[in-house]
Amino acid sequence: MSSKKLVVIINASPKVKTNPSVSGYLSGLQESYMEASGIDIHHINVRENLSSKDTDKDFEIMRKADAIIFNFPLYIFCLPGMLMHFLQDYVTYRKDGPAAGTTAEASAVFSGKSVQRIYAVVNCGFPEAYINEEAVNVIKSFSRKIGAMFRFGVLLGSGGMIIGNLDYPVMKTMKAGLEEAFQTLADDILKEGQDSIENKSYEANFPRRLYLFMGNRFWYSEAKKNGLKKKALYQRPYLK
Amino acid sequence: MKALILSDKEFRTKQYEALSELVIGHLKKKGFETKEYAIGREDLAFCMGCFGCWVKKPGECVISDQIASINYKYINSDVTIYLSPVIFGQFSANIKNALDRWLPNILPFFERRPDGSTIHPGRYNSYAKQIFIGYGDDLEPEDAKLFEDIIKKHRRNTEVLIYTDSSEFLQELEKIELRKVGSRI
Repeated sequence: MSSKKLVVIINASPKVKTNPSVSGYLSGLQESYMEASGIDIHHINVRENLSSKDTDKDFEIMRKADAIIFNFPLYIFCLPGMLMHFLQDYVTYRKDGPAAGTTAEASAVFSGKSVQRIYAVVNCGFPEAYINEEAVNVIKSFSRKIGAMFRFGVLLGSGGMIIGNLDYPVMKTMKAGLEEAFQTLADDILKEGQDSIENKSYEANFPRRLYLFMGNRFWYSEAKKNGLKKKALYQRPYLK
Repeated sequence: MKALILSDKEFRTKQYEALSELVIGHLKKKGFETKEYAIGREDLAFCMGCFGCWVKKPGECVISDQIASINYKYINSDVTIYLSPVIFGQFSANIKNALDRWLPNILPFFERRPDGSTIHPGRYNSYAKQIFIGYGDDLEPEDAKLFEDIIKKHRRNTEVLIYTDSSEFLQELEKIELRKVGSRI
């Protein structure tokens, strides 16, 4: 077998550091599975990368990695603009940077590695996981453009319940699903799996009506913390 | 009648120029007053997922830049046309930034749609019709289909077209009713 594998775990949540994100949390979970499998890890926080002066350093590591995992939230039914900037910049780097003209396949053959693998882990606040499907397909399209091999996506509904709640009974299926998905991911990188793997979808095992009710209550209480009354949430500031 | 046009400053290709001329001509012929915002990388900050537009300053983004005037124009227009490069099957980064920060225009609550899926309800009683026109050189059919799916599958009252240098494109554009839609978006 070739040398130790390197995976780049990308947290592409647009949230600022002081505001914990589901994508950051999931990146941390993946880290433990990679470590246990003896895979080297490089983390990239997209917001930090784009505001740093040296984005190319991360891009070069991405170019050489055996695998890349994209973790991001669904924004208006697809990828956040911030992640699109990062991907567009990366494609430009691949086209015009120091390794210009080198396809992922060519690099792989040259270095004796298999073609780079790409995975997408997408979460949304709605209960339905399937809404993330198009976003996974965007990462699939990106993979084609850089000559990498898209492997599978993990689609998560009820994203708002993931942090801090995985040990509750209603999240039992979600927790088991994430464990299975991230183990499959680590094995796939390590064993250079060739068989296709279906996308994996998980949602909270929670009555939908209750999820929506609690979600709605949450916004009222958040507004109250900011000194706003219920009615203020419905303001229409741009009405002429 | 008013129309708002959003375009991407970073993709001023020949195709864009032809498309823009055609769309502006079409709107002019229909008697629209148009306002275009060409969005560049420095014009809009990234949405930071803080939900301040829902619980701190309802209806307005807490980041102060061009988005306030874009959203104001959107609410007070009859039609909004996005001229978007199709990148990996979705909107380009600059157009997507404007769309991410369109969030103040809807309410935070969850609503169940007839097909059983969830959506956020509208904040206003009526909205400009959103028309998304994708363009790109050597566009893969798979990417064009994905662009359409992203726009149509989970949204109501939107239109999507892929620009091609053909008479059919103009015919398709002609078919679209250029007027406000209700609160269902």
